Amino acid sequence: MYTVSGGVTRERFPHRFSSCGSYLVESMPFYHAYPGSRCLAIGTTSCNFRCRYCSNAYIAKEDPEIQQDRMYHLAPREVVGMARKLNCRSIIFHVNEPTVSLPTLLEVAQEAKAAAIPMGCLTNGYTTVESTELLASIFSFFNVSLKGISARFNRTYIGIKSSRPVLRNISRLAKDRHVEVTTPIVQGANDGEIDTIADFIAGVDPEIPWHVFRLLPEDEMKGAEYPNIQAIDEALHSARKRLPYIYFHNFVGSEWVNTLCPDCGCAVIERFSLGCGGDRLKRLPCEDNRCPDCGRKIKLLSEKPCLGHRERAQR
Amino acid sequence: MSIAIVDARGWQNTLDLETGDKINTAGPVVEMAKDVLGRHPYPGDRDPGSNRWVSDTAFDLIDRYSPRFVFLTYAAQYFSGRYTPMTKETRAKMILEAFLEAERFINTSGFAAIVVGTGNMTPFLGSIDATGIDGLAVCTHWSTRYAGLYGPSPDDMKALRAHPHIEKIVPQEKVVSLFNGTPEQTLRVPEYLMLAREGYAFKTISDATRTPIMIPSLNFNVPLYAPGRTVGAITGIRQALEEDLLEKKVALIVMEGVGLDEFLWPHVSCRNGMEWYYYEPGEAQYLTIASGEHRFLDYPTGYKCFNDKVEATRSYPFSGHFKSIPEGPFARTFPGKSIAVGNKSMFMHTVTGTDVSVECFARNLYNQGTMAVIHREDKR
Repeated sequence: MYTVSGGVTRERFPHRFSSCGSYLVESMPFYHAYPGSRCLAIGTTSCNFRCRYCSNAYIAKEDPEIQQDRMYHLAPREVVGMARKLNCRSIIFHVNEPTVSLPTLLEVAQEAKAAAIPMGCLTNGYTTVESTELLASIFSFFNVSLKGISARFNRTYIGIKSSRPVLRNISRLAKDRHVEVTTPIVQGANDGEIDTIADFIAGVDPEIPWHVFRLLPEDEMKGAEYPNIQAIDEALHSARKRLPYIYFHNFVGSEWVNTLCPDCGCAVIERFSLGCGGDRLKRLPCEDNRCPDCGRKIKLLSEKPCLGHRERAQR
Repeated sequence: MSIAIVDARGWQNTLDLETGDKINTAGPVVEMAKDVLGRHPYPGDRDPGSNRWVSDTAFDLIDRYSPRFVFLTYAAQYFSGRYTPMTKETRAKMILEAFLEAERFINTSGFAAIVVGTGNMTPFLGSIDATGIDGLAVCTHWSTRYAGLYGPSPDDMKALRAHPHIEKIVPQEKVVSLFNGTPEQTLRVPEYLMLAREGYAFKTISDATRTPIMIPSLNFNVPLYAPGRTVGAITGIRQALEEDLLEKKVALIVMEGVGLDEFLWPHVSCRNGMEWYYYEPGEAQYLTIASGEHRFLDYPTGYKCFNDKVEATRSYPFSGHFKSIPEGPFARTFPGKSIAVGNKSMFMHTVTGTDVSVECFARNLYNQGTMAVIHREDKR
């Protein structure tokens, strides 16, 4: 978060991280970026949303001042050094919203570029045009949480007026960055928007992977009914015809986590679903990014340097 | 083949525990497990009804499976004590309620019980920040006393040895020698094992952290309620169970987060380790109790799981860091029927060796449902 003093905006707690650990990239989730690899997952504190169902309220909603005792104090060089020590292929910002810590992340990105380690993030995408460009200069792959489209849902559950900036930024980022989208389904609140969201994603790029989450009710919604899995699966039938990479998960044992070839239906990437933050790769038959059966190209950010990354490293 | 049935609240899936593949299977034990999971949704690690869930689930299994041996864990007071601020009076009431729940189980089921506490809790005094060293310190945030250390520089060793909250740094060979480790086990042991002083916990690169309120004390000894038995160490509990089972139905109850200071029933003090080492609450302690032999080296604290070349495609994806179901727990070879129920993470099926286990599927306090594992369905 930031403070303004004498007309200057400054980050309140630079180089302080609420989390810093080694995870499998599928658990973030990223399903089409560096499959099976480890990432160094970092996060800070605070958020520009106030979701009623926040899974990380103890980080995102609590006053950052009182969290400082437990924070990791790591200089950007140490973050990148840690990624190397832990054999991490990438660095991914998660847990809270990256825009609340842009100066620190710009510094980390500089070190990461020098080490040729790509950076990705989970973001709510609720950023200005200028901030979005900053994010695009830091991160080469994104998972944008499109929580809902209607103004009513966004006002009631997220605390914002409109999803328009999020939609605008997904379109922008998808132009030259790897983008996946996540939507937690709150039954009775945004499950009626599934087709509208699918239409939006298909309009940007039908090959964008879409993670449809069964909401795990936490924070203000703790104690609420868990959404009905079968009903959500049925609601996704029509969207699956338009978007080849729809995943329905965030619950243990999901059987909708494999990537199927859009042309022939062959399972080209298989995964295990261990619920929130626990997914992992099972098999990767399409190691050359092509379906082993029909040869169709599968959208996948893999071991090659990410888009724009090599140029930045050279610079 | 061991069968896993996961219940994500209102939706179930049946899997091969080893491969994680979906399977179609039926049979009376499978149907029973599915029905029991459906009837007993898990309320959550810190929910007041969490320990009751353990008893009620066990009653259901006992009614329908008729086991001779039951392995239970009551852990709600451990999770609440660790992360929820509370007064001494509230804590005392919480522990009393855990014992009342165990009493309800014993009185209702008619099982004779052996009860072991996993150890005292102590107020958290602070972290030992081991993130800034040249080498690498490794532990999860659930481990507080121990952290593994790899590749330390001379400066690291100097600073760590002088750290006021680090009690000792033990080299790998001493750890291996204490437990008579094999060459294969040695590969999993860190170069050094660091030991924190009481009240302090290592901070390493790990999960998103919640600040603990209380952490396990230095529990070189733990309390054991075993009427009529003389047991000096947790490795002796197995023999007591086996002897009791010759005469009667027996329940082994693990009371998490309760040590010698707060154990409410008559008890003896029981050794919980060897020399400088004691078990923290977790899989190694359970395996040691269930097998009668020290099992720290199966997956020692500081084990670098992320160095595993095959981790992405390994077996037993629903069994945490276990890559196989451990040999040794006596229930694996016990000829009578056996069940386990627990609300301490997803490891009952790996450490108890029982025919059927039901456990919460909760990670880092996030409640995702439950899982039943059937290792044996051939007993009549």
